[in-house]
Parts: sequence; C-alpha cells; structure tokens
Amino acid sequence: MSNGNGSTTAQYDVVIIGAGVSGNLIAKQLGLAGKKVLILEAGPTVPDSREQYMENFYLALAKTPESPYPSLAGRTGPGVGSLPDPAALPAPRATVLAIGRPPQQSHLIQSQTAGAPVNAKGEVRQLQFSSTYERIGGGTAWHWLGTSLRLVPHDLTMQSTYGVFQDWPISYDEMETLWGLAESEIGVAASVAQQEPLQAAIGLRYPPGYQYPMNPIPSSVVDQTISSAVSGMSVPGEGSEGGKEYSVFVTSTPAGRNSEPYQNRRVCAGNTNCIPICPIQAKWDPTVTLGSALDTGNVTVSYQSVAVNIAVEGGNATRVDYLQWSRDANGDLTSKPMSVTGTIYVLAAHAIENAKLLLLSNNQQGIANSSDQVGRNLMDHVLYLAWALADQPVWGYRGPLATSGIESLRDGEFRSNRAAFRMEIGNEGWNFSTGDPYTTTMDFITGTNNSQLNPQGQRLGGVKLAEQLNSFLTRQFRFGLLLEQSPQAENRVTLDPTYTDGLNIPRPHIEYGLDEYTMEGFRVAADTCSAVFKQMGATEFTQPTVHPYPPGRNPGPGDFSYQGKEYHMYGAGHIMGTHRMGTDSACSVVDASQRSHDVPNLWIVGSGSFPTVATANPTLTIMALAFKSAQSILAALGS
Amino acid sequence: MTTTPVPDNILADFANMSAALTGFQSSVLRPFLDPVNLSGLYYGFAVSQVSQQAMDALLNAYRAIATQPAQTIADTLLETASPTPSNQAQIAQSIVAMWYLGSWYKPAYQNAGTPGAVVQVVSSEAYTNGLVWKAAQAHPMGYSPFTFGYWSQPPASLATFGVNVPDGGGQ
Amino acid sequence: MRKLATITLLALAFACRKELPKTAATETPAPAQEAKLTAAPSGPAIVLSSAIPGDAQFGALPPNATNEEKLLAIQGDFDIFSWNSFIALNWPPGPDGNGDPTKTIGQDGDNDTVWEHYRDVADVFLPGGKPPVWKGSTPVPPECTADYAPGMRILSQVGKTPTVLTEFSQPFNTGPLIDQNGVYTRYEILVNKPMFDYILSNSLYSKAGQKVFSGTVKFPCGVLGGAEGAIMVKSAWKIIDSSEMSRFHSEEVLVYSPASDNPPYPAKCGKQTMGLVGLHIGHKTNSGAQWLWSTFEHVDNVPTEDDVKGGTLKASYNYYNPKCSAADCPPNQVPPRPWDPTKVSSFHSQIVRINTFKGNEFAPTSAAERNADAVKLLAGVNPDSVWQNYELISTMWPTNTGTCQAIAGDPLGTPAPTFLANTTAETYIQGMVPNVSSNCIECHNNATMTTPVASDFTYVLQRAQ
Repeated sequence: MSNGNGSTTAQYDVVIIGAGVSGNLIAKQLGLAGKKVLILEAGPTVPDSREQYMENFYLALAKTPESPYPSLAGRTGPGVGSLPDPAALPAPRATVLAIGRPPQQSHLIQSQTAGAPVNAKGEVRQLQFSSTYERIGGGTAWHWLGTSLRLVPHDLTMQSTYGVFQDWPISYDEMETLWGLAESEIGVAASVAQQEPLQAAIGLRYPPGYQYPMNPIPSSVVDQTISSAVSGMSVPGEGSEGGKEYSVFVTSTPAGRNSEPYQNRRVCAGNTNCIPICPIQAKWDPTVTLGSALDTGNVTVSYQSVAVNIAVEGGNATRVDYLQWSRDANGDLTSKPMSVTGTIYVLAAHAIENAKLLLLSNNQQGIANSSDQVGRNLMDHVLYLAWALADQPVWGYRGPLATSGIESLRDGEFRSNRAAFRMEIGNEGWNFSTGDPYTTTMDFITGTNNSQLNPQGQRLGGVKLAEQLNSFLTRQFRFGLLLEQSPQAENRVTLDPTYTDGLNIPRPHIEYGLDEYTMEGFRVAADTCSAVFKQMGATEFTQPTVHPYPPGRNPGPGDFSYQGKEYHMYGAGHIMGTHRMGTDSACSVVDASQRSHDVPNLWIVGSGSFPTVATANPTLTIMALAFKSAQSILAALGS
Repeated sequence: MTTTPVPDNILADFANMSAALTGFQSSVLRPFLDPVNLSGLYYGFAVSQVSQQAMDALLNAYRAIATQPAQTIADTLLETASPTPSNQAQIAQSIVAMWYLGSWYKPAYQNAGTPGAVVQVVSSEAYTNGLVWKAAQAHPMGYSPFTFGYWSQPPASLATFGVNVPDGGGQ
Repeated sequence: MRKLATITLLALAFACRKELPKTAATETPAPAQEAKLTAAPSGPAIVLSSAIPGDAQFGALPPNATNEEKLLAIQGDFDIFSWNSFIALNWPPGPDGNGDPTKTIGQDGDNDTVWEHYRDVADVFLPGGKPPVWKGSTPVPPECTADYAPGMRILSQVGKTPTVLTEFSQPFNTGPLIDQNGVYTRYEILVNKPMFDYILSNSLYSKAGQKVFSGTVKFPCGVLGGAEGAIMVKSAWKIIDSSEMSRFHSEEVLVYSPASDNPPYPAKCGKQTMGLVGLHIGHKTNSGAQWLWSTFEHVDNVPTEDDVKGGTLKASYNYYNPKCSAADCPPNQVPPRPWDPTKVSSFHSQIVRINTFKGNEFAPTSAAERNADAVKLLAGVNPDSVWQNYELISTMWPTNTGTCQAIAGDPLGTPAPTFLANTTAETYIQGMVPNVSSNCIECHNNATMTTPVASDFTYVLQRAQ
C-alpha cells in the first residue's frame, strides 16, 4: 500500500509506538511469525542490569513507583527533593511526586483546586487524576504489582446485566483463552482450586481442567490473620438489596511472580518491593517479553524516539514522524526529525500518551476520532486506602507487597447503582498509608505525631524505642480498595494549549472527577473496611485528608466530600478508557481487536481500550487483548 | 565524609554509644569483623553535618557514663524526659535516626527548631542495613535475605534480629 | 548468635596452628617439589600440594588488630585457601581421579586436572530424571558424532543457564561474553564426589525426587584435615589457537550448541581447542556455611578501570581491544540480541574490570600478595607452567557464621568482601549496588530446587528434569 512518499514499499511490516506490555507482546508474536517490526520507544533504553535503577531506588528520598526510573527527583532534601521541570524533558511522564503540583513540576496539566464540592449533578469535578506512568524501555509495568486477576463475566456485560455503561465487544469465553495465553507469557502463580469459592460469589470461571503455570504464592501472616477473623462474616446489601448478604472471605491473589524457577528467572524472595521494582526479576516485567521479541531477529527497537505524528492519507496510516533525541556533550537536549513507514501501525504508548498522539496528529486536527471519544472516558481504579493496627502482631513489611485480597464483593446487583470494589490486602504495613516505617520512627525519636501513634509526643531511645516501634510496626496493615470508575465523557485528556515538553510537544491536559456511582461505591468501601477492622478487633487509623507522605504535600487535590464525609482518593496506577473499544464506531474508537474503526491499518492498544474497568488490575487483560491484536494484525498482513 | 581513617578506638566508642542509643547489640552495629563498616561511614557523615567539635563533645558525654545501663545512657544522652532537648541531644536523635533509617535528618536546631528535615539517604548500604526493619522483625523493602515462603510464618524473635532485649522480649 | 561466632572464629584464629595435612606429596615428595615447599611453620601458606584443603586454616591475628588489620589477615588466610584449592584441583590426576602424588602441577607446562574429572551437571541431571552415575559416558549429540573421540568433553553452555543462552539467576539481561574473534565464551559446571553423592542419595537429581524431599538441603561441609566437603566448579573457556596454548590451560573439546527455537538456529557441533579463562570454585566448609567462593581469571582477560584511564594497557586481551576507543567500543555492554552462538558475531565484548572493592581494600591487597606468592611457586616448578597465568580475584567468605550453620538473624553471614565479580561470569553486574551487583553469597542465597525450596546456595539443582 502506498505510504504517500511515492514509493510503495514500507520499511517495516509493523511499526509499534511504545515498548511496554502491549507493544512488546505484539512485537514478539509478529517476530515469531517472521514479520519485520520496529518499536519506537520515547524513553531511554532498557539498561543492561538493574543496578542503576536499584541504586536510584535506594537513594530516593520518597520511594514512589517512579523512584528507580530516570529523570529523578533530586537526592537531597528538604522534602522529597527537587523535581525536574517537564518543559525541559524530552519524554516527561506523570509521577506520584508531581500530583497536586503546578506545571513547573507536573507533566499532566490539571486543576489543583483543593477539596472540590459536589456539584448540582451530584458529581465532583476538578479532582486530581492521580495515576502515573513511565516512558522508558519496558514501560510502566516495570512497577506493576504483579496482580493477575481475571475479570468476572458480569464485568464484560455491565449494560446488559446492570443497565449501566457499555458491554465489552468480546465474550468471556474468548477472554478465557486469551487470559490463558497471557498467564503463560507472564508466568502466573495461582491455583484454580483456590479460586473456586469465587465462582459462587462473583461468577469467576475457568475452562474445565485449566491449570495455571505455577503453584500459588503462599499467603502472608497478615492474610491468614484477616482470613480467620472474617470467617463467616458477611456484609448486607443496601437499598433494594436489603436482606441480601454478601460473604466476606480472603482469597489468594494470582500473581505474575515466580513460585518456582520460570523463564530462567529466580523464585520470589519476598523483597516486599514489587512496586517500584523487583531487585531479582522474580516478578515478570515487559523487558522479559522484549528479550524474546528481540531473539526472533525480526524486531528492532529505536529508543529515545518520540512519535509526534501519525500521518493518515486516503484513510490509511502512511507514516510515523518522530523526534530522535539525545543529549550532547554538555548535556543539552538535541533532536532530529525522522520518519518511518510500515504496512501496519500500532499505537501502544499507554492510555494518556496514546490519546495525546491521536489528538496531536494531522496538525492537531486529530485522527481516528470520528467518534469524538479519543481522550474521553478517562478512568482509573479509584483507590480507597484504609489502615489499622491489629490487636496482635501480623508482621507486615514481609513477603510480596500483596498476596491475597477480599474478592467476593466485586459483583452483585448493587452494580446497577454503585461501583463494586476489590479489597487488596497489603503486606507492607503502613508504608503506603503513612510513609512508615519512617514516619513512626521519626515520631518517637523527635516527639512528633505524624503517624497518629504518638499523641503524647513521647521521645524514646534505646531498647524502649526499639520495642515501641516493634509493637506498632508489627501490627500495622492496610487495605487498598480498587473501585470501578464510571466512564464519563467529561473525564478526558486533551492537548494543553499552553504547556509543552522539552521537544515542544503539547502536554496532556486532564479534566477529571467522580460521579455518584463511583462515590457511592467509595462510601460503601470505606464502611466495609471499618466493618472488617471491627470484626478483627483492629483499631482503625484511616485519615481522610491529611496525609504526611510524601512530606510537604498539602492536602488538597484528591480530597472530596460526599454525603457529609471527607474522603481522600488515590490513583491505583491503572489508566484506562481513553480509546475505548466497541462495536459501534459512533461511540467507540477501536473494535474488539483494538483495531481503529476509522483507520483500518492502525491498531490502538492498551488499557485505553477498556470500555469499562470493573475491579481487576488491568495488566493481565492488557496482555490478553494484545494477543488478540497480534492475531488480527497477522491476519491483516495475510499470513 | 572523612578521608583519613578514624582510629578504631573512636569508632568503637561511637558504635558502643550508638548501640546504647538505638537499643541494639553493639555486635550488630560494629561486629568483630566489619567489612561494611557502617560506624565508620556514619561517624564521618555525622561529623560532616554537625562538626568534629560537636561529635567530640557528644562522645565525651557518652564516655562519662559509659558504664551505666544502656537504657540509662540512651535516656540521658537523648534527654528523653526533657520537653526541650539540647542541641547535643538533638544530634544524638539524628544519629539514632541515621542508624534506624539510613538517612540523615537535620537536628532541629539546624532547621529553625523543626525536627525531621531529611538531608539525604547516606548510601545504598545505609539503606539496606537500616535497623528499623530489624525492629519490625522484617527486612528493608527491596532487600530480603530470606527465602521463598518465609512470609507465611511468623518471624524470628526480636532478640534474634539484634535488639538488646534482656530476655527475648518483643513479639 | 554473634557472640558464638566470634568465639568460634577467634578460636580458629588463635588456636595452635595445625600440622600440614599429611599427603602423599609430603611423605614421598618428588625431588622438584621438595625444594618448593614454602610452608612457614608460623602460619598458613600456599603450598604445592595435591591435597585439597577441606577448609581454610587460620593464622594468628596481630595483637590489638584494627578492623582493617583483622580483615586483611583473615582475608589472607582465605586467599591462601583459595590458592591451595586452585593448585590441588588443577593437579594432574592419577587413575583414581585424585591428584597424582608422583607429579607436580605444571611440570610439563600444562596438564589434565582433577576437577575436569568431576561430574558435569549435564551428566547429573539427566533427561527423564534418570539416576546419574559418578563415572560413565556422556551421551553424544548426533551433531557431534563425526568429531567425537572417547573421553572428549562436550561444552555446551553459553551462559550460566541450564538451557542455552539468556539470563539465569542474574537479575536482568545479562548476556553472553563474546571474544575478540566474535566467538562465544563457553561454560561448564561440575560437582565433586561428595556433592554428587549428596544429590544421589537424597534423590535430588530429578524433579520427582525433589518434590518428595522433605528435609532441608544441606551439602556436607569440608573440615580442615578431614572431609573434603561439597565443591562445585564453574569454568569459562574461549577458543584459542595453537600459538596461544603456552599461556592457557587448554583442552581439545567438542563445542556443542543445541538447536534453539527462539532465537532460531539449528544444532551445531565442532572440535575446538579451548583455553581456560575463568575458574570459580564454590566450596562448602565448616567456616563457610554460606560456602567459600574463590574466583580466578586468566591474567590477560581484561584491563582494570585504572589501566584504561592511565593508558597502561597490554598489547592484547582476551576480552578487550586496546585499540578501540571508548566512543567506538563503550565498555561492558551486553551484546545485542539475538544471541546465536553458532555464528561468528560482529559484536566483540569490550570488558573492563570495575573496582568493586572500594571500602574493602583489604581484598585486593591480600589477593595481590597471594598472587605474587603463587606465581612464584608455580613458575618455579616450570617456567613454562601455564598455571602462572591465572590470578585470584578474591575469595568471598562469611564473616559472621557458625560452624557449618548460618547464624539465626544473619542468613547471609555478612560476606567479605561485600561485592565480588569475575569478568567472565558476572560480566555485566560488576558494581556495588546491594542485591543486584555481583555478590556470590547474596545471589546464591536465592537458589532453589525446581520446587521453591532453598537449595543451600547452589543453582545446580534447578537443572533437574
């Protein structure tokens, strides 16, 4: 097919933008089939070892998800260290430390209004979108937790089952096959037998005789304690469901983490560091798949290559224009405009950057957007964090970051009215919640009370200090609840009219908020946590607004009120919805294979394709859909 | 940090003082054979932050009471009973924080009276040898010396982790 | 706990120095050898002996020793142990496989060695989980039959991996080591009889056997003057031509690359003369509950960072081109994928030894001293001895451990030096970042069987089928 340059031979069979979960998997499948693939990756190369990344992590003042990866915060205080200005960076990205900060520090341009009230429609607007991503070889899933949950059948049929939102244009049966492929590629440790109670509870099902690649990861003492405490517990349905009881029980979480040597990678040693980085690669990350892709001999990666335009002529994508950036001897940024052609193009730069590039293309008139849905329906798993002190030691800070959860509340008739949620059990004490063990330690050394555990302002030393810290740290635990967010057209990514990055590319402008569906789910989530804590005899310490970590961050964006209570939402790191799939091209961007409705040789892949988000962490489904995309690309190439 | 090696006996005093301040056994802070030499690293770093003079004064204050019980030494040097600890006690606090967390926090007197201002993580080894993780009967996040499945069982005792508890106390 | 270890180690350090183990060599020394014994009566020393030391021997510590002085002294004792192990393991074997007392290492320049008659792990962990035998033939792949002569060794590994290529237990993207002729470096892993016997008697040679193993894997410890203990050897080889043979321990072997799906290439086999470029010895002993790790390299392997900076470069190296600038040949880069060992590669590894001993200067100081002693000794046997062309990089040993048992609360035993890498085997993780940069004990602590059960610091059990 013509590429508009007069010549009729594309340089590559497929050009993929983005070396992350989807991009690497598709490249591998295409490479294995003998197709010539170029991956353009905006960020720097995958390093030869993770020494530099781990050193970055060790020396980081705030050990956020982005802390090992390049373009770091400064390593000296005060606070969390200086943050680089995205206006000077060639491939800036959203970071946790930039949440709530102005454009001089935040790649995403968004409102910083604090504590927005509910509007006339019952919605909160101008909320801070709080999930982040990377732009490096390997992508964001360098720091995924490893959680590899399958969706449940009703997750795919929210419209037909509950009359809300959209159905996915793909059947659960087909997804089962695709998840199986993804579980093998990643190496997921779980057992169908252990998941069996969820069949009755939420409809989870597997193909008969299905076996996971590896045995489950053992549960933690935290898990075991919660599990016995909630034995026989249930929570009542609300409203029209009064009288119905939902069983509360703990299930082991399927995880992309080695429970035996797999793919020549080591077994998990419980480094408790999955986010932000596994030091020994016991947790799968996309560089593993990228290695396999490169092994085919048919895949090339061009790093530091930022795509700035996908040319579309005569209805087909004909070319990707990109900037090849580098730093000269003085460290100054330079870039060279380049182009490349393929027969097929795959946009795999994650949900926000995918939307941005689609809107940016064709001189900012946009492409592949006859539905006007590109950038819209920006969703996250809105995260509710609750933390408590158990009445006995549970010994957190040990094992993988999470090994179990309460999954039994992820489905039910209530989903006609309010969001469902899953409850992730954290094994890392109050690390996420309060920045422990730092916060409590400094409280008892200097007499402050940022953890709320030192109301007397005590200062301790010697064995008394060690024992006091032991008493608290060993009883700390937390829940992280992932709420399904409604797709809302007004939650969206657009091109910011003012702010650009180091390559003069417009940065993403975000508008974001929550509707009543989600906030009602949030309310129930909070109450459910409190009920579980009570059942356990644990003392709750959840703070709705004031959060001491990272230090120096003011409460504000991310805080909201609902029905008279204050809440604080976090991002789960799951960015979804911005190029959703559907059968109707009038209101969706891609089809079930993630192929653009408008541009037939353009695939737009990743969690941006999810039309609804349900409650399962997205990476497994991202890869499952990528397998389907790869199959459809191969079919389109006529092989 | 110091460029000339600090005499062993001074580092021994520093380590023994730190053991009392932190509540850990001195053989954890400065083992008989010490290839990591945290006490050398920490002594040098602290001096660079508070001056040799202030360090000398603190060590002398320690030496004057070195034969007292460890908890007494800690409470005395840290002035835990006082609502307004002296500069020297604040330095002792920063030293405790450094051993526990691997980071140096400014003594409040260097930060307009506000404690807890972090300067930096002292080094990667400082982080991976932080004592707070032992106090939690765990390990530094990102550095596990344990093997698969350990998290399914309760940990070894607090004493095993090096806290100087008299009779295997803790949990 | 720690107090116990201190007493143990001090006891070893200050104990009356034991007699040299009685070996056939000292009882009926060959004339050339008698004059070469340099064992001073007052402390351990490197000796020309075929007796494999069961453990390190400790000299007295200097009085009122500082931390540095103690570490230097004990490091020295372990480095002597490493050299005595190197000498004994590279001793020419007699018909029973042990060192031949009537011969001396290097007396004819080069010689067959004891460790090369240990059992290759490919012959321990057999297809189908079949029980292995200590002495038996090696199955010859069809591609090799044309060149095969009985007794020839087959080298197939291009990484520390059981299958061909790619990462093994290394954290990330480690890759092959490619020489200046574009040829891949080859590896072997072998185990001695005590290690083999433990695997056999506990049925750990098969997946099925490992699954039903209910105990704790604990290989036997060597004892000074007594039991040998478990020893595993990893050797690294590169193809050499006849003009180089005088500088290397060399063997004529079959270099075999099994067929691969991804990257795709067919099997290939050929006879080659290979020179030894690296030798790792892992030895479980009473003083090394976390094992003792002795690592040797050929002296021509690579320059150090200081050599490169200061321009004090040799005319040639095994893995470094002194004529290629840093801009054209950036050092220590992993070769680009795909990795195909059956082809000559256009990429040549440009490797520099990184100094991982900052703050642990006792390690290189001790190694330099022992290397000088050993070279003198070995060259004294025969000025053409190939064995003088090898140097000890260092020995990693646990500073805080019990007798054949880790101390609760310190599973790694606080190793010294804190980082150690062999440029032929840990090429791309030379550094000083905890839990990632090469540290024998730290990394091997993650070793398990095919089940996730800890396997006592060895990855060999993962090879079970």
